[in-house]
Amino acid sequence: MTATAIDARGLGKDFGAIRALGGLDLEVRQAEFFGLLGPNGAGKTTTVHLLATLLRPTRGTARVAGYDVVREDLETRRRIGLVFQETTLDRDLTVEQNLSFAARLWNLPGRVAGPRIDELLVQFGLRERRRDPVRALSGGMRRALDIARGLLHEPRVLFLDEPTAGLDPRSRRSLWELIQRLRSASGLTVFLTTHYVEEAEPCDRVAVLDRGSLAALGTPAELKRAAGVSSLEAVFLARTGHPLAASSAA
Amino acid sequence: MRAIAGIVVRELLRFLRQRGRLVSSLARPFVWLVFAGAGFATVFSGAGAIDYRRYLAPGLLGMVVMFGSLLAALSTVTDREAGVLRMMLVAPIRRSTLALGKTLGATLLGTTQAVVVGALLLSLLRLWPGPAGLLLGCAAIVLSGLALGALGLVLAATMRSIENFAGVMNFVVFPMLFLSGALYPVRRLGPWLRALVHVNPLAYGVDLLKHALLGEWAGTGYGGEMPVALDVAVLAAFAAAGLAIAAALLGREGGVTRTAFRSPA
Repeated sequence: MTATAIDARGLGKDFGAIRALGGLDLEVRQAEFFGLLGPNGAGKTTTVHLLATLLRPTRGTARVAGYDVVREDLETRRRIGLVFQETTLDRDLTVEQNLSFAARLWNLPGRVAGPRIDELLVQFGLRERRRDPVRALSGGMRRALDIARGLLHEPRVLFLDEPTAGLDPRSRRSLWELIQRLRSASGLTVFLTTHYVEEAEPCDRVAVLDRGSLAALGTPAELKRAAGVSSLEAVFLARTGHPLAASSAA
Repeated sequence: MRAIAGIVVRELLRFLRQRGRLVSSLARPFVWLVFAGAGFATVFSGAGAIDYRRYLAPGLLGMVVMFGSLLAALSTVTDREAGVLRMMLVAPIRRSTLALGKTLGATLLGTTQAVVVGALLLSLLRLWPGPAGLLLGCAAIVLSGLALGALGLVLAATMRSIENFAGVMNFVVFPMLFLSGALYPVRRLGPWLRALVHVNPLAYGVDLLKHALLGEWAGTGYGGEMPVALDVAVLAAFAAAGLAIAAALLGREGGVTRTAFRSPA
C-alpha cells in the first residue's frame, strides 16, 4: 500500500481553446482529509473528473491509489468513490435498490453487499427509509445516500465534489457532521472540493485553486501565517488579488 | 457478469414501477388490431388469400418489440438527464459492458412483452404455426429485440435530451414501422422506398416473424419476402454494429461524457 493517495504532476485540461486547468502539481497523503478551495469555475470539478478517470488529461499525469488514471482507469475506478455535485441516484428506485444496483456495478457478491448496505444505512441514518423511493427523500437525505453509495465498495479515496452545495443551512450542517465522521474511518483519504471557507477550515491541508492554477497549498494554519491574515477567506484574497465570491453563510 | 445483471435488474424494476407504460405496451397492439385491422382490411388486396388480421399479426409483434426494446434503450437519455449515467460511467466497468447491459435489459423488456402479446394474439386469431414456427418466432423476437435495443442505445447516445423524443418518434419509429412490411407487403413499393426497407432492421424482424407465423401462406406472396438466413444475418449484424457504436459513443469524452460531466456552472 502506498503512502501517497493522489499524486498529480503537471496535470492540465483544455476544453477547446479554454484552459480549465493549467498544470497542477499535488500530492495528497493517505488518510488525509484534503480540501480543494476555490470559486465556481476555478477548475475544481475538472480536477476531480481528471483524477476519477472521467476526463483524459491534456497534459501531465496523475496516480490515484497507486494507479495511473489514464493507463489503469478500471483499476483506479475500483479504488475510488465519487460523489458528484448533483445527485446521481435513480429517483424511481428505493434507497435499498439504489445501493444494490451500485453493489452489482462494483461487483460485490451478495453476501458482502447485504451486511455492508445495512451498516451504511445505519451510519447515514437511512435505515427507516430503506424501502422508500428516493424521490420521497429530502435533499439532505439524498446527499447522504449519495455518499453512502460512494463508500459501498470501501474505496481508498473518496472524492466529494461540493457535497453540501444547494442544501439548506440545517441539512448542510447535519451532512457536514456525517462527512466529518468519515475522518476516523480507517485509512480513508477524503478529497473534498468546496467554495465554502468554513468547510476548508477543518481540513488537514487545503489547496487554493483559482482560474485553473494552484494559488496556495498547506494546512489552514500555515496558509494564514504565510499570508499574515486570520481567515482562509483573507488568504484567498491575498493570494489571488480578488475575493472568494461565494458567500459563507450557513 | 454481475454488473450486466445489475443493469438488467434495474431496467426491470423501473419498468414494473411504471404501470402506465406496462398497460399501454400491452394494449397498444390490440388497439392497432381493432382499428388499423378494420380499416386496412377494406383496401387489402390479399383478402382472398389471407385474413388481414392474421396478416397483421407478425407486424404487430414486431411493433411490440420495437416499442419495447427501442424505447427502453432510449431511456438512457433520461438516465443522463437524471445523472444516473454518470454514476454508471464511474463504476469500474468497460463502456462495452455498460452498452451490453443496457441493450440486454431493453431486449428482455421488448421480448417479454412480445411473447405475452404473441400468446394472446395467436389464440385470438386462431393462428397455429406449429412448434417449429413458434421456435422461429421466438428467435425472431429475440434477434429483433437485440437489433432494435442496440439501435435505440445508439440514438440515445447521440441525443442531448428527451425533448428530441418526438423527433425520434416521427423520423425513426413511424418510418420504420411503415417501411417494415408490418402493415402491407413491401414488394410493391417504389424503388426509393424499397431501398429504405432494406436498411430498416424492423423489416427483417417482421419478415422473419412472417416466415415463422405465416408459413401456411408462403406460396401466396403474403408470407416472408426475404430468405430466412438473410433476415437472421442482417439482424445479428445490426445488433453487433449497434453495440460497438454505442460503446464507442458512451466512451467518447468530448461527446456524451462531456455533456454528462461538465456542469453549466
